[in-house]
Amino acid sequence: MGDLKNTASRTFDAIVIGSGISGGWAAKELCEKGLKTLVLERGRDVKHIKDYPTTNKMPWEFEHRGRLPLEVEKANPIVGRCYAFGEATDHFFVKDNEHPYVQEKPFDWIRGYQVGGKSLLWARQTQRWSDFDFEGPARDGFAVDWPIRYKDLAPWYSYVEKFAGIAGDKDGLAELPDSDSLPAYPLNAVEKYFKGIVAKNYNGRHVISGRCAHLSQPQQIHLDQGRGKCQNRTICERGCPFGGYFSSNATTIPWAAKTGNMTLRPHSVVHSIIYDEVKGKATGVRVIDATTKDAIEYYAPVIFVNAAALNTNLILLNSTSNRFPNGIGNDSGVLGKYVAFHNYRARVSGTYEGLQEFTTDGRRPTSGYLPRFRNVRKQETDFLRGYAAGFGASRSSKQSWDGVGKSLKEHLLNPQAGPWKVNSHMMGETIPKESNYVALDGTKRDEWGVPQLKIAIDYDANDEKMIKDYQEQLTEMFEKAGFTDIVVQDSKAAPGLDIHEMGGVRMGRDPKTSMLNEWNQLHQCKNVFVTDGACMTSTSTQNPSLTYMAFAARAADHAFTELKKGNI
Amino acid sequence: MQRRTVLKNFLILAAGTVVIPSCMNDRSAASIPLKHLQVDGEGEKLLAEISETIIPKTAIPGAKDVYTHLFALKMIDDCYGPEKQQQFETGLKDIEKLSKKKFGMGFLKSSPAQREQLLTELESRKKGDALYDFYQMTKALTVQGYLTSKYVMTNITKYELVPGRYNGFAPVKTVYHQI
Repeated sequence: MGDLKNTASRTFDAIVIGSGISGGWAAKELCEKGLKTLVLERGRDVKHIKDYPTTNKMPWEFEHRGRLPLEVEKANPIVGRCYAFGEATDHFFVKDNEHPYVQEKPFDWIRGYQVGGKSLLWARQTQRWSDFDFEGPARDGFAVDWPIRYKDLAPWYSYVEKFAGIAGDKDGLAELPDSDSLPAYPLNAVEKYFKGIVAKNYNGRHVISGRCAHLSQPQQIHLDQGRGKCQNRTICERGCPFGGYFSSNATTIPWAAKTGNMTLRPHSVVHSIIYDEVKGKATGVRVIDATTKDAIEYYAPVIFVNAAALNTNLILLNSTSNRFPNGIGNDSGVLGKYVAFHNYRARVSGTYEGLQEFTTDGRRPTSGYLPRFRNVRKQETDFLRGYAAGFGASRSSKQSWDGVGKSLKEHLLNPQAGPWKVNSHMMGETIPKESNYVALDGTKRDEWGVPQLKIAIDYDANDEKMIKDYQEQLTEMFEKAGFTDIVVQDSKAAPGLDIHEMGGVRMGRDPKTSMLNEWNQLHQCKNVFVTDGACMTSTSTQNPSLTYMAFAARAADHAFTELKKGNI
Repeated sequence: MQRRTVLKNFLILAAGTVVIPSCMNDRSAASIPLKHLQVDGEGEKLLAEISETIIPKTAIPGAKDVYTHLFALKMIDDCYGPEKQQQFETGLKDIEKLSKKKFGMGFLKSSPAQREQLLTELESRKKGDALYDFYQMTKALTVQGYLTSKYVMTNITKYELVPGRYNGFAPVKTVYHQI
């Protein structure tokens, strides 16, 4: 790092806070444009391949076969509820006692503090948003109008998709614009059958192959990144030695490093952004070294905040000055408010007795997907917005466990094809509200001296109606397909496990009601950019990461242009 | 036993965990370190034979060959709560008593046929019966340990770490082969 006392050695052209999906993109873009960029990551470094300790382990090499010891489960009730947390992956998750927060209402905050962040762990679903999403708040009268439309983001979707590698079909649906994609992973026999049933019985309902950030057919740009074809291992959360899926570690961070312009500093907890009242802009960030607890300042004319949605809120709230006593850029008082998420509570499952001659062979990193079909073109139900649905069919093996001795062994070693099981889960849009917020706790601090985040986020009546509608509609569609043993579930899980928390630093046209302009700049401090989940004005139903990537690349381009013009 | 309890409590106070050096055991210790379970070498042997009775060696290795008994001990010790651990310890003792009552000798001394007869009888008992619950816990771990053993996953079910393919219309008869 050079002499830390020397200001010059701590001065860069740009600072990016966070190295996850959106921070990695900001870093890549800024470095490629020639800006000396400091990337701050609060956790440890995770180098592609080298730091994936479980990636090539066989099932029998896990002494508890994937399960975690009881004492670990008991110590981690929050992260323990995340589907991906287990013996093969626990080293990539923040444990409950590592960074405490205050739950004013129950909220399962799932975090990954390391280089790459949650991009190592994500579910890799990448559906574009459409104008039915960006025009939603204005049409339906909630939140504020998005300051952009699909056409503003479309070229940036293409731009990030080509580099990241997105597998998907050209489905030609206005509500789910096609990606610049690689070949899709195919639907299986029962999924394809269901697709036909849905098309025959409903207008405007579609079953497609879920688009995902996997290299089904690598192009030169992917080979140049050192990545190869996805090998259908479907143990992605351990880190992929083939670079088969998009992660910052396999993709954007090494690309940024290759330019020679990136300085990556792990173990760097950002305390706050420094605001200079004379210059009227931000001049740098205050960092607490996670290991030594020393405070260090870094300076740059461009600052990207990509700490993940809620931590980005935390940093901005904690960036106080005489000019901004309530957090940087927060004259409006909107900061931390209008947080929303995706409602994943409900599932519908069943059995299919047909197509017994087929099963599946090998594995696949995605499954079927039903784009939103409720209230798309006009309001037609008693709740606002709608839900997308995951849909998958699978056929597992069955073997009788009855008896003892040789007959039992015979059964166990000769599995038969079990029944086809069909499963669906909802992904509901939630409405951002002032009462769903995060704030700094007045007294509690973490071990780095930063106030703890207080979280108050909950479902509302609209969400409950949507759950009921999803359950009814999927049940009806399953019945039309002749599926049996239909089971409808509501997990009643607290918000958070969707890991799609968004908002708090929302975009908008009016500085009185929003934090960021159409270029993801703070209205009141234009050299600070927010392009992670915190910037989202509304949530849509689609998995948001692809949209964060597009925002980050677009904003980095704008930042560079404005910097060259001397505007920031 | 009293001497051991006193010493054990002392060691808990001293180190925060139970460490009983093998020299203090009047019988042999289990072959893997156990933090919670009170199962000694004899108990381990008994468990190994129960597992082997559930999945015996044929032309293909049985439960004992792939150490399902050590897997079961590890799982119960690390992943199960005190109630289940207690149930397991008691079950090991009770199955021994049942064998003595039925056959006039302990499980380890009884013949393979007698062992199978005894477990078959347990199989027909009902949930809530302490020995039935012990047996089902042991059986579930034995089956899991066996099916996820290196031997079975490599040679029989042929697990693929790197499949490199997906066929959603695979004919059943090309995927399932009977052995």
